[in-house]
Amino acid sequence: MNPSVIPITDFQLALSVILVILTGAVSAALRLGLLRSLLWGTVRTFGQLTLIGYVLNYVFALNNLLVLGLLLLLMCYIAARTAVRRVTNVPPGTTLLAFGSLFASTFLVGVLVTQLIIVPEPWYSARIVIPIFGLILGNSMNGIALAIDRMYAETRARRGEVEALLAFGATPWEAVRDCVREAVRAGMTPTINSLMVVGLVSLPGMMTGQILGGVDPQEAVRYQIVVMLMIAAAVAIGCLILVGMSYRRMFTADGALNLEVYRSRGV
Amino acid sequence: MPAWFEFAGLSFLVGVEQRSVSLSGAVDRGRVMLVRGPSGAGKTTLLRVLARLQHGTGDVWLGGRHWHSFAPTAWRAAVCYVAQQPAVFEGTVRDNLRRPFQLTAVGRRRRYDAAAAERGMRALMLPPALLEQDARLLSGGEAVRIAVLRALLADPAVLLLDEPTAALDRPTAAGFCDLLNHWLSEKPDRRAAVVITHDEFVVHRLRDPVFLEMDGGDPGRKSISDVPDQLGGR
Repeated sequence: MNPSVIPITDFQLALSVILVILTGAVSAALRLGLLRSLLWGTVRTFGQLTLIGYVLNYVFALNNLLVLGLLLLLMCYIAARTAVRRVTNVPPGTTLLAFGSLFASTFLVGVLVTQLIIVPEPWYSARIVIPIFGLILGNSMNGIALAIDRMYAETRARRGEVEALLAFGATPWEAVRDCVREAVRAGMTPTINSLMVVGLVSLPGMMTGQILGGVDPQEAVRYQIVVMLMIAAAVAIGCLILVGMSYRRMFTADGALNLEVYRSRGV
Repeated sequence: MPAWFEFAGLSFLVGVEQRSVSLSGAVDRGRVMLVRGPSGAGKTTLLRVLARLQHGTGDVWLGGRHWHSFAPTAWRAAVCYVAQQPAVFEGTVRDNLRRPFQLTAVGRRRRYDAAAAERGMRALMLPPALLEQDARLLSGGEAVRIAVLRALLADPAVLLLDEPTAALDRPTAAGFCDLLNHWLSEKPDRRAAVVITHDEFVVHRLRDPVFLEMDGGDPGRKSISDVPDQLGGR
């Protein structure tokens, strides 16, 4: 396709195993006990990426709207599950809310970016839509995980303040507004920070990939800008929706703080 | 005329063993009820249930109105609970005193009264200059007094105080008692207080208290005696 792309042959790919041996040597020398995980991780990396390569090839060739939609839903679901599994002490049912917020934020921003900015032909081109939605989901997933974890942690830590406000007749929203603000801030901070240092500390993965793939850096930069801004928007919206749907669940029907919230459940 | 604040057959669970406690009591307009009893009797839980911060069954009336006829937020604004561990918000002491007035339930009824705040500070032996200080730097005893004053200024119909003098010395405790007596007598037809205390000094200094004695964790017994005794009114 592009003459400046240097393909990696099977043999060259196999050579990358040298890197695994180096990593394994470090683990063995320091007795880190990571050898098994390292091997398993390497096998999974090869397996998963090879598989996804075939799947993407197939889906790109098929370019069917229904298949694309189902795939995006599946991606949303996996992202929601991963996000919630990482945080401790969230009540059951949070995965569903996480799915809802990821779905809403990703589709809102994703549709905006693909249909107004990139405008592929046909409009549901899987080659464009899947990587874009994947980028949004991967980042929103981290954002909402940080936000929801922070909301519960902050409310637990500030239980005295929250209850004091309730005791004055505060609504649940008034009582936890500061905690919710901290939560959304926590969810967005990594994204905002990355907006600050992008290109200075490291080149983003997507841009690196495009440049290695032979794209003109100036062209790659344009894509990267769009991607950064869309990620920021999606993270903000995702955090807001999830926290907005979740905070009321920390309260009883009577609007009192639910005792379960600040009773750390442990194992 | 019915009592200003009254509860009957009020049941709730106490402690990790979830012991059931059931009791009744009443406090008239302008009066203070003192709750006494050993640790673990459920005194704090009683106040939290009365404030609807924790679940309990039974009947509570404020000015003849049943508690379920109030919206929860309206009830809590009227029956205000102050925890033994004082809550401190970000900002100065003044910010802390004003904080309740930023809530719809309090702010729409009345405004922050700076003069009353300064009078209260003096009564509690706190220099008015303290208003400018960062509230997180307050000592334990100062924070308790600010928390009590914050509740007094919000003008609830019933004030629920949990061991307010535990961290106070004798003169400061006297200042607290006098301020509470004064607060009750300011609007004697629509104010009352329920105070948990172990402090005999407070018992003698508060005007005309009624008593609610709660027994300890004798698992067989559930009832509680309500002793409307007049002990050493001043």
